[in-house]
Amino acid sequence: MIAVGSVPDPSPPRLLTQQLLGPLISPADDHGASVREAAARLPHALADLAVPRVGSGSFRLTDHHVRTALARSDAVAAATPFAWSARTARRALGLATVRALVAGEAASPLEGARIAIAQAVHSAGLGQGPFSAMDRWLAGLPPAGLAVVHADVVTWATRLWCAVDWSAFVEPPLIGRDRWWDSPHSSLLALRSRAEVRTFVSDPAGRHYSAHLVVLGGPRRSTIRAELSVVALVEALLAPPLVPPGRILGWWPESGHLVKVEVDASVLAAGEAAIARTLAAVEAPATPGQEVARAAA
Amino acid sequence: MRPRGAATGAAASADVTTREQNPPMVLVKPRRGASPGSCPTPETSPSSAPARDEVLALLRNGSGRRPRFDPGLAGGLRAWLEDAAGELVAARGEDAPPLFLGPRLLWTGSAAAADPQTTAGADTSSIELVLSCLVRALFRQVVTVGHVGDPLSDAMAALQVDPARAGMAAQIERMSDATRDALSAALDVHAANLLHLTPRFAPRWLPRTHDRVAIPLAGGRVVLGGVFDLLVGAPVPGMATLCALGLTTGGRWAQARTALHYLALLETLRSGTPPFRVALLHSAIGRYGVEDVLEEHLRAVVSHVVAQLAGLAGDGPAPAAALLGGGDWDDRSRISA
Repeated sequence: MIAVGSVPDPSPPRLLTQQLLGPLISPADDHGASVREAAARLPHALADLAVPRVGSGSFRLTDHHVRTALARSDAVAAATPFAWSARTARRALGLATVRALVAGEAASPLEGARIAIAQAVHSAGLGQGPFSAMDRWLAGLPPAGLAVVHADVVTWATRLWCAVDWSAFVEPPLIGRDRWWDSPHSSLLALRSRAEVRTFVSDPAGRHYSAHLVVLGGPRRSTIRAELSVVALVEALLAPPLVPPGRILGWWPESGHLVKVEVDASVLAAGEAAIARTLAAVEAPATPGQEVARAAA
Repeated sequence: MRPRGAATGAAASADVTTREQNPPMVLVKPRRGASPGSCPTPETSPSSAPARDEVLALLRNGSGRRPRFDPGLAGGLRAWLEDAAGELVAARGEDAPPLFLGPRLLWTGSAAAADPQTTAGADTSSIELVLSCLVRALFRQVVTVGHVGDPLSDAMAALQVDPARAGMAAQIERMSDATRDALSAALDVHAANLLHLTPRFAPRWLPRTHDRVAIPLAGGRVVLGGVFDLLVGAPVPGMATLCALGLTTGGRWAQARTALHYLALLETLRSGTPPFRVALLHSAIGRYGVEDVLEEHLRAVVSHVVAQLAGLAGDGPAPAAALLGGGDWDDRSRISA
């Protein structure tokens, strides 16, 4: 038993790592070309989608909006105002924890989480340098409140830390760092791509593609491929020409299930359709502040 | 878990662990580490060290022989459950919303009780549930930072960073002084026992609390869920490497033990391997027990689940309605949607 007999080895080969880093098998000679072609026409198409709703204000769409719009009406929980909590803070702090573990700056999730929380509290306490609303919220918690946050972060980070074989990456992966695409044709539209781990894979011809691991929550749902297609679409819009997105891997820590999307033009079309449906469903867009907060959830 | 020295049963050949890896279950009678009103820290209560050290020693015993087991076990158990879930879905209709079942709701024997939409929304929680939530918050604090200040204040601070518990926090604040004092006194006893019983795991053993498991069946139309109070160890494919610690705050020991086996089943379905060993801590009376997870435990709990799913589908009476009916498990039976 690893837990109580010796120090655990967190890096044996794991199915999730194999699924994320395995070679791309594409029926096309260079499916990156079709992705690039699709990505070239998408900015205009997306701007057109946003135009009819100009009167509603700007659209900063996140995975939360997409998930809500695609879900069956009876599966959508009632909207509640955003508030910082142990639950909403754990992802941002958990990612900082995993980054520290991978970089060798922390020896355990417990230590990494403690450092991440201490840095956040310190930043807010000094009132200098960059600090976020979450940092300010953490700084106002009593020690017992911080302990709960600490515990939640440890659990979140340990799951990701144990699920991935970090030694299998040729280049250090990018951990966290959500990315926004701002429409060049409409200042009213921005799309977010959320992924916990970003790296590169190759096809049999040696061409490189980006690969993205997305940690999923909630129940398994039939719309998950459409949700991940939106991530693929945003990555295609942001990608440098020589490294288009190749794979999006969704993972539910609560069940261990995986869903893999190999990116091609049809996936981008599905992402475009999902965005169209989301824009149609969004009646009252959230404020940017709320979006920033949700980004941490 | 059987009392020390009890027969281990016919578990030898079909078990997840071999007999030599499966020492007799150790059940320890209550030991009082503290009296109501006191909440010793590890530093101030020398008497608290032996129990948690013994729990740790029991968990460590033979841990160098990490068992491998039949890789088809999880698939077989899942297939058994899928059959039952498929029949339940057929009975409820394809368009019925997903059914979320936790260790308590699973055994109540009624589809209405198993549906969170019909059980959520109560304005007040039972005092048992309140106490359970507060104790679990303290347990997480003990595991994470190793100490507790004023138990009620600390537990309240924990509730206040969880919006889902805002109603419970408000309920406690509305209590009369006498009721609050009684709750505080009870919590002091639990906190003292937690400090007495809970091993201090080294950080590199990866202790994590409140680890939620949700296993979808029948394409997600039935979801079996639960929450480990504490897991330690890193999952290794094909090898049982985890230890799970469960906490019961007042329910019956046998029910809590079966619920721990249910969680072991969920972990088997999630990762392909069950926990190697489980421990159960009773924070009200300071009792604890440690045992290996056996294939017979998993088969027994699957049998219960299948029978219950059949009961929900109307194929027969809902069995074992009281088997896991303790309110102690209320807070862990809600599956996030």
